[in-house]
Amino acid sequence: MSAAYTVPLFLRGLVVTDDLVSFGTRSGAVQFQAPDMAKYVDRLPLKSPGEMSDLYRVSFDEILDVLEAVGEALDFDSNTHLQEAYEASLVANVLPPEMMRNSYQVLRPLFTRDHVLEVADTQVGLDYLNGWVPHRLSDGRELRVRAFGSRVLHIPAGNGGLVSAVTILRSVITRCDTIIKAPSNDPLTAIAIARTLADVAPGHPITKHMVVGYWKGGDLAVEEVLYQPQHIEKIIAWGGLASVKHVTRYIQPGLELIALDPKRSATIIGAEAFTDEPTMREVAKRAAIDIGVANQEGCANARVIYTLSGTDDAGLAKANKLGEMIYSELVELPPFISTPPRYPNRDLFERLESSRMTEDFYRVFGGEQREGAIVVSQFDEPVDYAPMLSGRVANIVPVDDIDQVTRAVNAYTQTIGIYPESLKHQLRETLPLFGAQRLTSLGYACSVAIAMPQDAIEPIRRMCKWIVDEECDPEVVIPLWRLGQQVKVRQ
Amino acid sequence: MSAPTTKSVTEFMDDPINFFGQSYTQMHSMSRAELEDLQRHAMGIRFQQHRQSIEMVRKLADRLGVTELNEFNDVVPLMFSHTAFKSYPSALIDKKRFDLMTKWLDKLTSYDISNVDTQGCNSIDDWIDRLDEQTPLQVITSSGTTGTISILPKDKRGAVEGMVLWKICLFQTFGQEPTDKELNPSVDVIWPNFASGKLGHLRIAQMIKQGFTGGDESKFHPLYPGSVETDLMFLASKMRAAATRGELDRLEIDPALAARKDEFIAMQMRQPQELDAFFVKITEKLRGKKVFMTSAYPQMYEISKAGLQRGVRNVFAKDSAVLTGGGMKGVALPDNFMDVIMEFLGVNKIQQGYGFSESSTFHWACEEGRYHVMPWVIPFVLNPDTSEPLPRTGRQTGRAAVYDILLRAHWGGVISGDEVTIDWDQRCPCGRTSVAFEKDIIRYSEKQGVEDDRITCAATQEVHNEAIDFMKGVDL
Repeated sequence: MSAAYTVPLFLRGLVVTDDLVSFGTRSGAVQFQAPDMAKYVDRLPLKSPGEMSDLYRVSFDEILDVLEAVGEALDFDSNTHLQEAYEASLVANVLPPEMMRNSYQVLRPLFTRDHVLEVADTQVGLDYLNGWVPHRLSDGRELRVRAFGSRVLHIPAGNGGLVSAVTILRSVITRCDTIIKAPSNDPLTAIAIARTLADVAPGHPITKHMVVGYWKGGDLAVEEVLYQPQHIEKIIAWGGLASVKHVTRYIQPGLELIALDPKRSATIIGAEAFTDEPTMREVAKRAAIDIGVANQEGCANARVIYTLSGTDDAGLAKANKLGEMIYSELVELPPFISTPPRYPNRDLFERLESSRMTEDFYRVFGGEQREGAIVVSQFDEPVDYAPMLSGRVANIVPVDDIDQVTRAVNAYTQTIGIYPESLKHQLRETLPLFGAQRLTSLGYACSVAIAMPQDAIEPIRRMCKWIVDEECDPEVVIPLWRLGQQVKVRQ
Repeated sequence: MSAPTTKSVTEFMDDPINFFGQSYTQMHSMSRAELEDLQRHAMGIRFQQHRQSIEMVRKLADRLGVTELNEFNDVVPLMFSHTAFKSYPSALIDKKRFDLMTKWLDKLTSYDISNVDTQGCNSIDDWIDRLDEQTPLQVITSSGTTGTISILPKDKRGAVEGMVLWKICLFQTFGQEPTDKELNPSVDVIWPNFASGKLGHLRIAQMIKQGFTGGDESKFHPLYPGSVETDLMFLASKMRAAATRGELDRLEIDPALAARKDEFIAMQMRQPQELDAFFVKITEKLRGKKVFMTSAYPQMYEISKAGLQRGVRNVFAKDSAVLTGGGMKGVALPDNFMDVIMEFLGVNKIQQGYGFSESSTFHWACEEGRYHVMPWVIPFVLNPDTSEPLPRTGRQTGRAAVYDILLRAHWGGVISGDEVTIDWDQRCPCGRTSVAFEKDIIRYSEKQGVEDDRITCAATQEVHNEAIDFMKGVDL
């Protein structure tokens, strides 16, 4: 089998394509190649943390300049690195071409001056990034706090290039020394951005603190050497349970895990949605978007949709009607947003067919061509295969009582899309107790902003090391040694 | 060639054992053309019967506009996946709505079970007992390792027939007409598992006991005398489902089950002594006897290893019947596992069968290692993704599916989770005229490395212990 593409090693400005070994893709149909990381692992980390000092000679304005230039160069039509990444993603990723192309077209605005400033200022604070922020404590000591970058290893998710771009953005604004393990299902986006960085800022400290490469997750020859506190201070791990669990074995004092772990999202639709036909249509359109974006591959996508329609005959009729409307909106979505899945989950569609035959408990709209489907439960429980929902298959669960919607939320919940706003307001003190991390207006679940917390943490602040410089004037802050003398005198 | 007579088709489909003179040789000696003609007619008739009597078949056929089956491939769109037998909401069991469970099952079986009294029924086992008492059904269930338990509406008549067929396949030699001794073998049964239970293969324990010993307890030798509670397995299955969703904290244990916590723990604690007692029994009482033993390879290997560790070897008569099932890939056993098993058992050969719970019987492997398909079963090889039938010529690899004419209680068209190969043009050197599955069979889920809910004995003890361990950790 010949290799479909090569994932080079981007090593602090250098692009390495030697010592290639082959890897299988998730679909198993094709192979790709990448440098044998066991041979390079010793060269990935910094020789000494002191080498990060050059990052502190770069002003934030210069960082903005560099990122802006990167953004401008990330023009899909002219950037050959991005085009290569796109070609590889067609083989490596489950998403269809229109959607992959779109995922590259949305990268540019991330790097605009205004956006970078917004992210840096709201998610860390420019003052902290650029200097020592003074603060006087009540005991009289003068604090100066600064956010330092750390030596980080990123294990980003591969469902779309956005994650790789955000990863780089976060690392650069915090002045981190960055090693990125490229995901097998989005193998070249991070490399493409890094190479674009090297094009616009050759030899720049930001470029010299960037490493991107591929090795198979769990490769001990690489990970046991690299995942050590003397090389890395923080690991930012996205994605699957297996990969996050796998990383935990390396966590020890001095090496911290920032887990952006596997999540699922849910949807809650209030009784107001059924007010009249136009409202229902609007709600259906919004719900369809939350289900359909990027073919429901993401953690933010809607899957189980609780509706406060009631479970009596009239309530079920409303829920079924909404299901039918959502389905028709779903299949009408434009192909750059949503398409029938390229690799539908056979097991899921088998379960769906069985539900279709079980009319006492379920109504199924669509799905016969595996194009996506809406299953409406005819009682107040989700389908037993709810954890499998993907490829544009969602489950509407009618409930009678608002207390029942907390069942939508558990330790694995990320986003809850809610309609209308008043219901969100009503639920926002309760849902977080059960695990919800982000409450958003129905239709915006997958419209994710960067300048806000993620997964109930502030990952960018966590990527920083928060260093304190204290100044204590013995005349103001009572010194312990004098306290000792006073005790002595009294004796 | 003339069309088969109505009488011959009826006997073929309703009483194949006598149609073939109880002879394994005859079952695999009919010419393919003649057999296929019978099969096509029988399939068409059975479809008409089931279309009338099984609501889910009728609904599916109506939706697809299928009114009759003429060619083999006509049945493929009507085939059920294994998920059809677990399409009920598991909440019905939590809420003890066995009336609705009965209503659900009623739509999957040809029998009218709408009058079953489920008043006061408070567990799956209880419900299965009611069905046993009040209907012709003898349902079997899966172990439910993925969170939902499959429920197959098998019937008592099929269970009896199944055991007769096992004996025919186990004790007869192809090419020779059966002797009286082969038709009525006298054996002790070794059952390396729990003695009873309502779960899939444990249910088979009762069938084997009845079929091979006439119900004589003194000739039935289980590893563990206890019974496995389906409700306990259901708890384990719910635990797994809850863990998948991150909701173990919300798992509620049924009070009736919780009340029996100590009993379950005691049962778990007894297992090591029971294992010792089992070996004492087979060495003292059963040495040199002709036995029938069946289990999957891993269990057979474990028990053999434990036996050899106790110095027990060559225990049974050489002409004992030992049956194991299915493919081997995906099971991690040492290279010499077969030597270990043979040394312990001391038998001449180990027979292999391939089949799935949804169908009526196993297909026995011949001397060449091919699983020859029983004559009332029409095999298919499907495109693994689209389920479109692959041509019935040449060598085809894909997803196994069958239409099983003998199944009366439930629909006989089933798509499996197995990758198989059939060489349709092959005439096997063993002499059997029948079509055969080639030796290498693998679960698609194993191929993809995902867990599935196969009806198997492999996980019982683990799953059972998992549930008990979970109960130990919870204040009840």
